[in-house]
Amino acid sequence: MFQDESIIQDFVTESNEHLAHVESQLLEIEAGGANSNIETVNALFRAVHSIKGAAGFLGFDTVNKLAHSLENVMDLVRNRALVPTAETVDLLLRSCDQLKSLINDLANSNSADVSALVSALDGVANMNSSHAPEPFDPNTFAKPTPTPPVEAVEVVAPPLAPAPTPIIEHVETPVSATANNSAPATAASSEATPAADANIRVSVGLLDRLMNLAGELVLSRNQLLQAVNSLGRPEVETISSRLDQVTSELQEAVMQTRMQPLANVFSRFPRLVRDLSAKLGKQCDLNISGKDVEVDKSIIEAIGDPLVHLVRNSLDHGVELPDVRSRKGKKPIGAIALEASHQAGRVLIVVRDDGAGIDPARLRSKAVSKGILTAEQASALSDEDAVNLIFHPGFSTAETITDVSGRGVGMDVVKSNITKLGGTVEVVSELGRGTTILVKLPLTLAIIPSLIVHSGNAPFAISQASIVELVRVSANEADKRISTINGSEVLKLRGRLLPLVRLGKILATAEQSRARAEQDDLKTPRNLDIIVVDAGAVRYGLIVDGLQDSEEIVVKPLGRHLKGSICLAGATILGDGRVAFILDANGIAAYAELQRSDSQAEQEEDALGSGAEETQAALMLTNGPEEYFAIPMAVIKRLERVQKEQVHEVGGQRLLEYEKETLTLLSLDDLIRAEPRPDQAWLYVVVFEAGGREIGLIVPKLVEIRQLSTNVDFRTLREPGVIGSLVVDRRTVRLLDVHELASKGCPQLTVPAEAEGLEDVRELRIMLVEDSNFFRTQVSHFLETLGHDVVAFEDGQAAWEALQDPKRQVDLVVTDIEMPRMNGFELCRRIKTDARFDGLPVIALTSLAGEDDVAHGREVGIDDYQVKMDRDKLLTAVRRLLPNRRGELLSV
Amino acid sequence: MTALMQAPTATGVAASTGEQEFITFYLGDLLLGIDIHQVQEINRNVDMTPVPHAPQAVRGVINLRGEVVLVVDLREVLGLPKSALTRSNRNVIVKNGGEQIGLLVDRVADVVRANTDDLDPMPENLRGIDQRFFKAVYKLELGLLVILDVNVTLASICNES
Repeated sequence: MFQDESIIQDFVTESNEHLAHVESQLLEIEAGGANSNIETVNALFRAVHSIKGAAGFLGFDTVNKLAHSLENVMDLVRNRALVPTAETVDLLLRSCDQLKSLINDLANSNSADVSALVSALDGVANMNSSHAPEPFDPNTFAKPTPTPPVEAVEVVAPPLAPAPTPIIEHVETPVSATANNSAPATAASSEATPAADANIRVSVGLLDRLMNLAGELVLSRNQLLQAVNSLGRPEVETISSRLDQVTSELQEAVMQTRMQPLANVFSRFPRLVRDLSAKLGKQCDLNISGKDVEVDKSIIEAIGDPLVHLVRNSLDHGVELPDVRSRKGKKPIGAIALEASHQAGRVLIVVRDDGAGIDPARLRSKAVSKGILTAEQASALSDEDAVNLIFHPGFSTAETITDVSGRGVGMDVVKSNITKLGGTVEVVSELGRGTTILVKLPLTLAIIPSLIVHSGNAPFAISQASIVELVRVSANEADKRISTINGSEVLKLRGRLLPLVRLGKILATAEQSRARAEQDDLKTPRNLDIIVVDAGAVRYGLIVDGLQDSEEIVVKPLGRHLKGSICLAGATILGDGRVAFILDANGIAAYAELQRSDSQAEQEEDALGSGAEETQAALMLTNGPEEYFAIPMAVIKRLERVQKEQVHEVGGQRLLEYEKETLTLLSLDDLIRAEPRPDQAWLYVVVFEAGGREIGLIVPKLVEIRQLSTNVDFRTLREPGVIGSLVVDRRTVRLLDVHELASKGCPQLTVPAEAEGLEDVRELRIMLVEDSNFFRTQVSHFLETLGHDVVAFEDGQAAWEALQDPKRQVDLVVTDIEMPRMNGFELCRRIKTDARFDGLPVIALTSLAGEDDVAHGREVGIDDYQVKMDRDKLLTAVRRLLPNRRGELLSV
Repeated sequence: MTALMQAPTATGVAASTGEQEFITFYLGDLLLGIDIHQVQEINRNVDMTPVPHAPQAVRGVINLRGEVVLVVDLREVLGLPKSALTRSNRNVIVKNGGEQIGLLVDRVADVVRANTDDLDPMPENLRGIDQRFFKAVYKLELGLLVILDVNVTLASICNES
């Protein structure tokens, strides 16, 4: 056998190139039937022919034999003597798969058994050919063209337009038969493509080195800039700023060389969907878009498997059998879409099917039966959250286990793999209509946004992607909020217990940790910085010695000698030249032996139940560095983190631009008495809804989410936009009224919606029953501003007594549920069973609408449920119920 | 980060047939040598960041022109007593298994040219040091030069972790 390694290596590289597009080519031939594009057939024939020749020359007889039989069949197709059926294409696909695996394991290829495939192929050839197939002649060979070593990526020589242009022409092989531009398909043949001249092969190692050097150049540039600034010589500054710019562009350009189009991943899906549909007896179209979107090579390599899993799931669980679809009035052929696009510096990949959708009720009951959630927790989940239960470990909803999906490893693995890449995954589903899965990924793994923290004096980096929130526990609070269970520390956070891990303890050697423990004991209690980390299956708090800046870091791999350090994910070089290790959130959880049971099961504590005082969850934040504010969580739709550059000023308004729409942004210092917010590269946006529109509030820094007392001072710091103030950890915190902020900041957006319909409801009397002073003040203030006449009572008993006065006219009752003396259920039951109050609508206000409560409420006749701080919805409910006052009886 | 010496990495620079060149250095009194072709550079960059959970012999990592390079404490590997860093400590950067790895040594000495025929097998009685790390000895006027087997030395660290 031929022994020259480099020639064999060339053969492998070249053969893989030849076979790279064989799947799409075969599928195209299948779709084309008798009219298939002759060029595609020729390209395939030549590819197989070249492999046959080179294999014979190099003495790989098995490869040679298989390629020969494959070539015979292809020859018939080429001469139009054979129109390949689905079975033939199956056979050809399997043969090519076999050929690929032989080529990638050449050392053992000659001992592989391919006789079954060869005889099947020969059978097809003999059946369709009038004359005998060309006899097998091991001496026919084509000369292999030498090419450089295998591990290489394609690079465009005139480079680096950030636009997502395809890097290599020939990966754009069309997969659908309708595409008429099938010419590039020939690129896989031995003929040179026109684009080939513009491409060179560069080894990945060289690119990595370029990356490192570019990084080092950035570092030197930073030092130079500092030195130059202190000189104060303008002529040098011009040169240095030019250097600055060139360096930045260079780094970007080098990054760009690692980018590859997603086509490299997407190209395998047409085959996958074809084979799988056939196996499942389903019919399904696959529509791919955004193949040109480019991401880093490392992402391309890592995203394949999770996407395969998602597409399989869509086909297996999502798309229904053709007759089921027909019965439901859908087209019998299902559709799966695989779409990629750029979104705000990230890549969005969407897997969408038009299948059965996910039933949230089924997921809830499954979660309860598997002991993942209690019945109460399950019923408290919104449908959206319930659907996302599929990402929970050990959650497979397939009724029967097929060999396609549902083997116990499931969506949780997909999620943790995507999380590892610094991405997120979400599912949106409409029952009966289909399911959409949204995967958001960073453009590169080589550079990750991260937070630099300290353990002792040493800096460490944590990927922002794994950070949920930062919590600071003040020294005097530590006793109350941190306790020890079975020797492990836990933090009380919003009614749950979060396991804690001390970074210093985890990383220190035995002797260091002993010294440290003594130190910790001696030290006076100090504030604790806790990073709440999501490690896929577990969530925990990591106590660090200090927080530093956020930094975009370049990830450097750890060598083979450090493979055993599971707590470290890599290393990086910081702006000052120091080496910092990157922490691995999953590894630390494993090292600390955190288990799900620790973090969840026994430790669900009901904070509301234990304290007598009513609390509400609020997001604490700062505007100026020492100015604290809070926003009730109930009004917040979501939080986003954006770069300063994403905020545009248009016509005196700040806007955040999404792909299709814009979000109006407000800044506290424009609207209320507040210090100017600091200028930062990254900002948070708190998104809420007012007047039926989304509006965002720019927030420089999020502090934490916590339960705040409702004991609010409504006078001292009251101004439009500020409800009042309260004292938390000896700091004055102003509670914001986002609706007032919105109507102040962008009246044009919010006023019309609120004003509309006011005419009808004016001068109606609303009875408000609420024991919490805070909520009573809030809700009555809100209803009054809408022109209603509000009378308020502290509990059900007082309200019921007031109702006995026949002179009292009430058009609507809005009541809390939990109240002393008489609760809201009882009050409602009495109203609804008393003929005097026939048709008087009752709206219940709750902090959280659980299904049990809703059912109980319905029994006693409650007309509607609303969450306390969601005033838009309350307004809608009031409007809906009031006009009915003198009309017919209400129905829910 | 001054590179005291940039070793020739290309082949063909070596002396005439039968001759080999060694970079030599001291660990205490022990004079050790490494084939010059395995050495990439020698520098005084000993500003090391300690690595949590690393094998004992790993002294830390350094930033070598943008690369994160592991530094191995040769004293620890060979079972010699630990010593504090001094001004004469050097990092001998070797290429091994596609990675750059620094060997922390007490101080560097000359480049020694030796005829392959004059390399002797290891004597049995070399003061209680683990023999598997050594390839051969070479007699100099002033004493013995012990040739270090870099592959074995570094492989022993892998096993530890």
